[in-house]
Amino acid sequence: MALAGGASIGTAALVAHGLSKRFKKKVALDKVDLTVPAGSVTALVGPNGAGKTTLIRVCMAFERPNAGGVEVDGVDPWKHRSEALRRVGYVPQTPAVYRGLSVEEHLSMARSLHSGFDADYARRRLDQLGIPLDQRADTLSGGQAAQLGLAVALGTRARILLLDEPLANLDPLARREFIQVLLDAVKSDGSTALLSSHIVTDVEDACDRLAILGGGKVRLDCPLEEARQTHRLTEADSPPPGATAVGSFLGKGGKTVMTLWRLAPGDDPGSAPNSGPGETSEAASLEDVVLGYLAAGRGIGLQLN
Amino acid sequence: MLTRIWLTYKQHRFETIAIALVCLGLAAAALIEAYRLNSMNVPLKCLESWQGAYMVGPGQPPLDAATQRCNDMAQAFSNIKTGTDAGLVRMLLAFAPLLVGIVFGAPIVAREIETGTAPLSWALSGSRRRWLFSKVLAGVLLIVPLMLVVGLAADVFEAAQYPDLNVYASYIDYVSRGAILVFWALAAFAGTFALGTLLGRTMPALIVALVVCFFVRGSWEAGMNHFVLRPFAVQTSLEQSANYTPDSWYNDISLYQTVYMDGKPWDGDVNAWWMEHQQVQVSATPDASGFVPGGGEPVYVDPATNKPLAPSQVPTYVNFVIPGAWYWNVVVLESGLLLLGSLFCGVIAFVWVDRRRPY
Repeated sequence: MALAGGASIGTAALVAHGLSKRFKKKVALDKVDLTVPAGSVTALVGPNGAGKTTLIRVCMAFERPNAGGVEVDGVDPWKHRSEALRRVGYVPQTPAVYRGLSVEEHLSMARSLHSGFDADYARRRLDQLGIPLDQRADTLSGGQAAQLGLAVALGTRARILLLDEPLANLDPLARREFIQVLLDAVKSDGSTALLSSHIVTDVEDACDRLAILGGGKVRLDCPLEEARQTHRLTEADSPPPGATAVGSFLGKGGKTVMTLWRLAPGDDPGSAPNSGPGETSEAASLEDVVLGYLAAGRGIGLQLN
Repeated sequence: MLTRIWLTYKQHRFETIAIALVCLGLAAAALIEAYRLNSMNVPLKCLESWQGAYMVGPGQPPLDAATQRCNDMAQAFSNIKTGTDAGLVRMLLAFAPLLVGIVFGAPIVAREIETGTAPLSWALSGSRRRWLFSKVLAGVLLIVPLMLVVGLAADVFEAAQYPDLNVYASYIDYVSRGAILVFWALAAFAGTFALGTLLGRTMPALIVALVVCFFVRGSWEAGMNHFVLRPFAVQTSLEQSANYTPDSWYNDISLYQTVYMDGKPWDGDVNAWWMEHQQVQVSATPDASGFVPGGGEPVYVDPATNKPLAPSQVPTYVNFVIPGAWYWNVVVLESGLLLLGSLFCGVIAFVWVDRRRPY
């Protein structure tokens, strides 16, 4: 069975189907269909309030969906929470550490809460980063606290890692380190990661898949490379042949309106874009792709499709 | 499990240390007060005969040296017993269990939710109830032995204050001493962590718990007497009551009085009956000043025939009491009720923790 993004159900680590979640009148997720293939590192990108955190919280059984559902490694977390959570390592939005406990005590606690927790593995990861195990967690820097959170998540040896904007409060160096540790772990363990962020450049180099969430809906869900190759950017609003307009937004400098186009599958991106005299298209960066879809989702800029 | 219990203490180290210090300090204070009273070695007869500072009236002859010494000792004993130190200890003994329970119970879940550590723990532990159980167990393991120490010290203090009393057959201060303190603390603990789980905030949980716990504690004895113990009360006749020593009055919980006639409850107007049936007996002759000192035993007569009535035909006040000998039954009953309350609150917390959001 084919799923969104070209993944098949047999290889899906995480599937959301018709997932809706409302908070009173505010719709956080609106019939979301999303598939995260096993072994992938998927970037879940969207502005603040797009529903990224809600989606991850539903996967963690912290929120109950109003309609539809999710399956984490084939298990519905709301119905079988223990079983689902055993398959998931979770890094919350803000590094949540116990102020009075040392780093080592965090690992001890994780081991006491999670039967399969590999404290040695987590300890090695922290050792590599030079984070003293006897240091109290409330004296760690933001980056170190985030690394502790990641080490705890990795120590569960879970097949799926859900990371809820872990980079948001980190400085550039700490972000890079975090991403590197994550990538090393995913590569060596063969696990799947869903990394949410509202900063595209943070996840560009780390992920092999992109899911754009805007206004509670999935705007795009495809491999990262495909997202780059099948989108072009022009200054004008006349569509290149065979291309579908996605959305328009203000370009860099805020003077020109840029339009993002999605090429028809199979089109050669090198030949497609020129549509008229003097008009040229350029390869869209990942940020452009995200901006285009978010603009379409928000209904801002020029709505061309 | 042991690791989690230990880490719970570390996580709440301020509360743990504060509670341990308060309990041990209070137990020590109660024992010191008891020692001060016991070390005076006041003979029981001095305490029994001493009637306060106004024993010698104006114009009366001075007391003999032995009686004076006896009274001085009793006075000194009374000064310690009613002094500020002992009063403070008594007050703290009444409220410490509530404070201990509230202080440890409020943050146990609520702080995790406030500081954002609940998602971390709940993500690691498949079962939130198991997570909560380990934290609650840590609280119970801390509170039970400490409050037991305080309760026993309070019993020693009580026995020192009333040397002629068996503290395990008397209801004086019985809610503020002994094993029941453990159950007060557990009830306050369970109620507060349930509130913390429901509200997800430490300070509101603490404030609501303070109000509720102090209201329950304040109205506990009246409520127990009125609703729980009343059906178990046994009757004591006025004659029996008259034989009671002052201390044996303290032993019982006197619940209510009613009037009996011919061995049955009687709801007539006693005063009107007396006015009608009582015949004043003047059994003593006037003294030098013309004062008639006493009237002797009252005699009740039938106004129609003017013949004396049999004792059973005279309205008699009957006391209904919970005898002091039932001390342990009452303590077990009230402790059981507090335990039931604790379990009820615990069930609410355990159900809610599984349903609530961790933020």
